[in-house]
Amino acid sequence: MADPVAEVPSWRFQRAPDRLVVDDVEVALRRDGAGETVLFLHGVGFLRQWLPFHAALTERVDLIAPEHPGFGDTPLPGGFRGFLDYVLHYDALLALLQADRLHLVGHGLGARLAAHMATVYPSRFASLTLIAPSGLRQEQEPLIDLFRMTYDALHAAQFNGREAAYADTYALKGFPQDTLDDVADAVPHALLTWTNRFDRRLERRLHRIQCPTLVIAPEQDRIGGTTAAARYAELVPGSALVTPAGPGGDPSSYAVLIEQPAEVAALVADHVDSTTKGN
Amino acid sequence: MVEREFFVMLHGAYPKVPYAPKRGSNFVDLPNGVYDKAEGQRVLERQASTFVSLEELGFDGGVVSEQHNGPIGLLGNPMIMGAYVAAQTRSIKIGVVGPIINDYLTPVRMAEEYAALDNLSRGRLLLGLPMGHGMQYHSIGMINPATARARYREAHDLFVKALTHEGPFEWFGEYFQIPYVNLWPRPLQEAPDILILGGGSPETLELVARHRYGYQQVGAFSQAAMKKTTDRLRELCEAQGYSVSPRQIWGLVSVHVAETDAQARLEAEAHSLWNSQNFFLSPFNDNFPPGYLSQAAMRGVLGGGYRSESSEKNTFERSVDSGTLIVGSPLTVSTRLAEFLATLAPGRVLLDFGLDSKPEWLGRKTMQLFAEEVMPQLRNGGVPVSQHRKLPGYESRSEYGATRNPDSPEPVVNLGTGGLINVETSHIASERLIVEPWRA
Repeated sequence: MADPVAEVPSWRFQRAPDRLVVDDVEVALRRDGAGETVLFLHGVGFLRQWLPFHAALTERVDLIAPEHPGFGDTPLPGGFRGFLDYVLHYDALLALLQADRLHLVGHGLGARLAAHMATVYPSRFASLTLIAPSGLRQEQEPLIDLFRMTYDALHAAQFNGREAAYADTYALKGFPQDTLDDVADAVPHALLTWTNRFDRRLERRLHRIQCPTLVIAPEQDRIGGTTAAARYAELVPGSALVTPAGPGGDPSSYAVLIEQPAEVAALVADHVDSTTKGN
Repeated sequence: MVEREFFVMLHGAYPKVPYAPKRGSNFVDLPNGVYDKAEGQRVLERQASTFVSLEELGFDGGVVSEQHNGPIGLLGNPMIMGAYVAAQTRSIKIGVVGPIINDYLTPVRMAEEYAALDNLSRGRLLLGLPMGHGMQYHSIGMINPATARARYREAHDLFVKALTHEGPFEWFGEYFQIPYVNLWPRPLQEAPDILILGGGSPETLELVARHRYGYQQVGAFSQAAMKKTTDRLRELCEAQGYSVSPRQIWGLVSVHVAETDAQARLEAEAHSLWNSQNFFLSPFNDNFPPGYLSQAAMRGVLGGGYRSESSEKNTFERSVDSGTLIVGSPLTVSTRLAEFLATLAPGRVLLDFGLDSKPEWLGRKTMQLFAEEVMPQLRNGGVPVSQHRKLPGYESRSEYGATRNPDSPEPVVNLGTGGLINVETSHIASERLIVEPWRA
């Protein structure tokens, strides 16, 4: 969670969040659009913003985009220890919003969390979309250790070296506040994954997912790894795998939803539509 | 003259490694293919023999630490070195700083090890309770740094209670749930002698003040920075309702002594910089895994605190000018060390002779010069405090006979003769007497 001492300047995609109290946690949440309700679970990075990807999705769906406990402007409750705490948190959040029919979309770590939710509640969601999901791998793929990367290296990995053009999505407040925010956001990230880099339990449970599932796999994911998305697609029954081409002939990246917001939003919305209109 | 104790830091680093700036750091993932078994044996044997030699030289004790996954130190568990030194010495304090309590599945196991070593060393154990370098969290595989501080605090409380309270007692905490905490053996020391090494974080200083522990700041760039932290500790102790004891204040300083000032610099300069450029060098993300520091402490780091600057940038002159390194003839070192002691007023001084990259003979030379020419200037009669005191426990079998509890139960056995007999005299036919009726 952000350091409360910090001043709050403005940045390009800033949009003040709404607040929703969920089991004593004051959640920072942004919501817009109309149509089928979609819960979007963010990944590592690009917080505190309403990005073009969000805006593009709201043209076709009712988008709910909260910040997870411990990330962005949502505080981390003392008792949170693992994915189940986050799953139960979102169960409570959805109950508060009375969102009975719902589509689930996640990016990176958020996709992994979405997959956990769909295994715990296999018949609850109308569809599931995993964008550059992390936390699984096929054998022999080396670990990408995000916790040892400098923040510059992390941004380069997110965009496959094209990060300079997107600095306004990760350089928001300047030094030292951006670093303090990154450090703070890394705590719940570590809580979930430091001793659970590859999620054996999830791997064993993915077969429980019953809803139509789309896996969006970047051509070169330097955050989640090159085999993670394929592994999800292999284990989630009946899932479809799609790989968007990258910009200008370069391989698409973990930040595919920032580099190609309209295209990814269309993939998500089409998948949502495909499960609601019988086509 | 103040009764002051002098300890020696024995890192036991493995020096024959690639130049660290070539790869950014030698922590965490320097391939152990560069490890030479003969060299490693030499490092460990040298660390052990140097520790033992401290008694003959007249120091009060030595300090070894727990390190993992790299050349910074070869002791995954410093208790092992403590056990060796306990067997080889009679009076010096044995500082083990580790062990890292979070590396244990349960702090009860660590309390058992501590208690056994405290007995074997006759109550000479000095214990550190470090959080461990941030770098170690990347490799030890048990600790999630996001919960490490909370787990550490609970582990600390359980560990100390296990050592100081009679059992069995139950412990149902957030991280440990143990129906019966019941320590065997119990330590000889009534209360553990604990030294906390830290980077000056407010959380750690408060813990030290609350428990009246010793504190040594590490990673400080100047005497002035150490003084600031020490003053803060004094204030926190006052807030707890007592004045800090000199034994709580540790002063860490790097030292090299030679015959002349010029010779001392010649001998020390490259080795001091080897430490800065190879031994300490570690990048930000390795130093500070998520949750390792509070946000307040991290703000301090980003503003110029602990490990905020690459150690590679350090220079010999800067170390000398800042007072963290004292180099010179015995007279120069005595004078500057007296100034250091006047500034910090430590009851316990931790000396780092930078032995790891120095040839063994050079390390022995500087330590002997310090012992014979410098320490006597700073301590009455040159006699270590450790040789003044009566150690806990018995000194001889005669004292054992005099001090053991006569009311302890005798070991008895049922031989089917209608009652229990004392097994200690069972080898004497006439002494196979029933000491207590028993029917079973």
